[in-house]
Amino acid sequence: MSSDTAPSVAQDDEVVTRSAGATAPAERVRPAAPPRRKVSWRTRFARDRSLIIMTLPAIALLAVFAYVPLAGNVIAWQDYSPYVGISGSPFVGWWNFQRLFADAAFWHAVGNTLLITGFQLVFFFPIPIIMALLLNSVMTPRIRTAIQSVVYLPHFFSWVIVVTVFQQMFGGAGFLAQRLADHGYSGFDLMTNPDSFLLLVTSQAIWKDAGWGMIIFLAALSTVDPALYEASVMDGASKWRRMWHVTLPALRPTIILLLILRLGDALTVGFEQLILQRGAVGADAAEVLDTFVYYQGVVNGDWSFAAAAGLVKGVVAVILVLVANKVAHLFGEAGVYQKA
Amino acid sequence: MKTQSSGSGIAATRLNRRSFLGLAGLGVAAVGVPSLLTSCSSGAPASVTGGGGTVSTGVLPTYTAVEYVKPDFPSVNGSTAGFAKIPDTLVQAFSSPPGSGGTYTAMTPLWGTIPPSKGNQYYEAVNKAMGTSIKFQISDGNTYGDKLAAVLASEKDVPDWVTIPSWNIPPKFGQAVEALFEDLGPYLSGDKVSKYKNLANIPTDLWRLCVFNDKLYGLPFPAELQTNAIYYRKDILDDLGIDAQPKSADELLDLAKEITAPAKKQWAAEDLWTGATYMFAVPPKWKLDGDKLLNRVETDEYRAALEWLTKLYAAGVVHPDAVADKVEDSKQRFEAGQTLICNDGVGAWAEALGRQLASNPDFQQQPFAPIAADGGTPRLFKADPTGMYSFLKKNEDKAKIEEMLAVADFLAAPFGTQEFQLINNGVEGVHFTLDKDNLPVPTDLAATEVQPTYIFLDSPAVVQSRVQYPGFVEAYCTWMADAAQYVEEPLFFGMQITEPSQFSGIATPFDDLQKDIVRGRKTMADLDKAIETWKSSGGDELRDFYQGILDEQ
Repeated sequence: MSSDTAPSVAQDDEVVTRSAGATAPAERVRPAAPPRRKVSWRTRFARDRSLIIMTLPAIALLAVFAYVPLAGNVIAWQDYSPYVGISGSPFVGWWNFQRLFADAAFWHAVGNTLLITGFQLVFFFPIPIIMALLLNSVMTPRIRTAIQSVVYLPHFFSWVIVVTVFQQMFGGAGFLAQRLADHGYSGFDLMTNPDSFLLLVTSQAIWKDAGWGMIIFLAALSTVDPALYEASVMDGASKWRRMWHVTLPALRPTIILLLILRLGDALTVGFEQLILQRGAVGADAAEVLDTFVYYQGVVNGDWSFAAAAGLVKGVVAVILVLVANKVAHLFGEAGVYQKA
Repeated sequence: MKTQSSGSGIAATRLNRRSFLGLAGLGVAAVGVPSLLTSCSSGAPASVTGGGGTVSTGVLPTYTAVEYVKPDFPSVNGSTAGFAKIPDTLVQAFSSPPGSGGTYTAMTPLWGTIPPSKGNQYYEAVNKAMGTSIKFQISDGNTYGDKLAAVLASEKDVPDWVTIPSWNIPPKFGQAVEALFEDLGPYLSGDKVSKYKNLANIPTDLWRLCVFNDKLYGLPFPAELQTNAIYYRKDILDDLGIDAQPKSADELLDLAKEITAPAKKQWAAEDLWTGATYMFAVPPKWKLDGDKLLNRVETDEYRAALEWLTKLYAAGVVHPDAVADKVEDSKQRFEAGQTLICNDGVGAWAEALGRQLASNPDFQQQPFAPIAADGGTPRLFKADPTGMYSFLKKNEDKAKIEEMLAVADFLAAPFGTQEFQLINNGVEGVHFTLDKDNLPVPTDLAATEVQPTYIFLDSPAVVQSRVQYPGFVEAYCTWMADAAQYVEEPLFFGMQITEPSQFSGIATPFDDLQKDIVRGRKTMADLDKAIETWKSSGGDELRDFYQGILDEQ
């Protein structure tokens, strides 16, 4: 892993280009923009032909690995068995969805998912931003690089290792429990307590991924023109005012973009992390949509039922992204995409 | 050599038939009780049931015994027979390698460290002797069922040879065998098996469980009369000055409390769920209450086992990592002395000795003699004589199936042959050396390379011949013979019943619930609720299904 992670010029350029790519066409078609003549698609095709050809490989890739497999969702309307295939499995209409919506375990999994995702949105999402702001104020590049490397290193650990490390530190036979036992406090075990599970998964997620999430904000910060800071200092702005009027507005498009993407993932709260700890705290605390799909589909062999659950999850995620994107537009931000 | 044709069965008394079944499952050839042998199991009605477990006449391979050596510790009531030493001269069962140079992939479980596949001298030697290369895809035995469900669902990922433990049979398996695996009937049924003399030496009752949808699909891996035991670390308990043999569940609990010392990083127990079901005689599947079938989860025994285990957890004597459900490390903890009591399969005993004795000669793992929860006479249920099955993936090429069956025949070579020695102990001079008593002494390399791999594909009828661990065979056979006196047949014993697929998931909530209850996260009231849900979501229909099978018996 390269230790040279301080936002270099090359990285800055990359990020700038990316966000420019998202905003530039947006600017053109804002409602305030002057009305444009409608051009027929034929003319547009002729105009953009080479660009379109260049996207073909990517589209082919998407088609093969994303759109064609989507057709497999048809099993949600079947009583599917992998051993006789889609053609051999009978169609059962909306039966799987009826069972799904009547299943208390499903709603329980939805509830857990939303709880974890909501909690992490409030307590995890801002942390990389705060870390980026703090780190940005550290002036010595060497210290900055060192801190940055240390905090993003855990991102490269797999969940198995993260959970094991936590077990070794905070488990009932772990480091902390042993030290506490030496001083007469016995019975400490953070890993098997369903009540504090929410805190546990969130702290694991922060330890593992906050450093990684910070990088993109650091990159955004480095694009701020130092002249703006100088000008505001000249105007007598305090540190807080500079942060409020210069730094945060510079971060806003990035924050909103990531927030929308995060919402699209709202119902995906980390399959591996949860399945590894499901036994420790019980399904009541740890069953989320993804583990529900796995246990119902793969383990119980009720593939169609699980496919229906997965499909519902997908539909909800799409709706969330669309709504969030719309809200972003209302606030005058570019969001993830805009209609041409 | 005795020949037993399928038609020779005569009506045996109930008692004789029962004891026969035990013998048949456990190396009847080596036991040598001719009078019982004549009560051939194929003499049973041609069609056992209509709902499941049907075995028509002519499907099962004809039994033809081969005997090489007489055991030193004969079978008692169907317990495992044992050998104290390796005969001076081993018979070479195959004069030339039976295979024809093919390479096949095989998926097997392993409860231990997966051996290296590159430069593994054990693999190389066995493959060479067979004339066929087996490429193993080994998975952790604790999570094998989950892995298997995913592999079987994708036909192209199914290896040529798949081992499936009987407790890991996935849902809708009745469809899976037909779609994925070769019907071995045309190769092995009736007298066709005579081409493979060691396969013909496998007792008929083992084959019976390999029949799915009235077709012979599986190759049997034999199980013993008892498949599990509660073990303790005798060496450590001796050091503590504790003479351990609890007489009841309460005494076991007291012992556990006595030996737990978290400050020394020492806890009494792993999760003892299996052990608890043994102590409380929880029926494996169903229990006949009057004339009504009760599912195991509905029985008082099941509740009592749960309540006891809840007490064990509440006492804080279970290792915290086991409380955190890290079952995959349980052997490691037990062998490192972090836990002192665990439950495990009977095969685990020798496996642990194989891993530990080289580095820790004092290591001693011993099973408790069977414990009855109330301190009375223990009740144990006889295990199915086939513990695992292996299946051959469908292949257009008949020659390939025949080659794999020839390999299976090689792997089924019984104790007393060079082939058996190679498969179980490895290569002389590399994996073991013979001491002055002709006993193999394993080398360090054996601990890493000679792991249970080939044996899960196919094995001869069970005998205990792990003579390389001093005193082990005697201790093992004595324990097994002691347990054998308490053994009774559970309902639906020895029948391969494929449940209709709509019932596939209804029992799974109990897996989570058991864990929740014993850890104090849920109560017995939740169990009552779960049983109601189970009944309404198909449990009562499943009961009718089994009742139908029972009525036809």
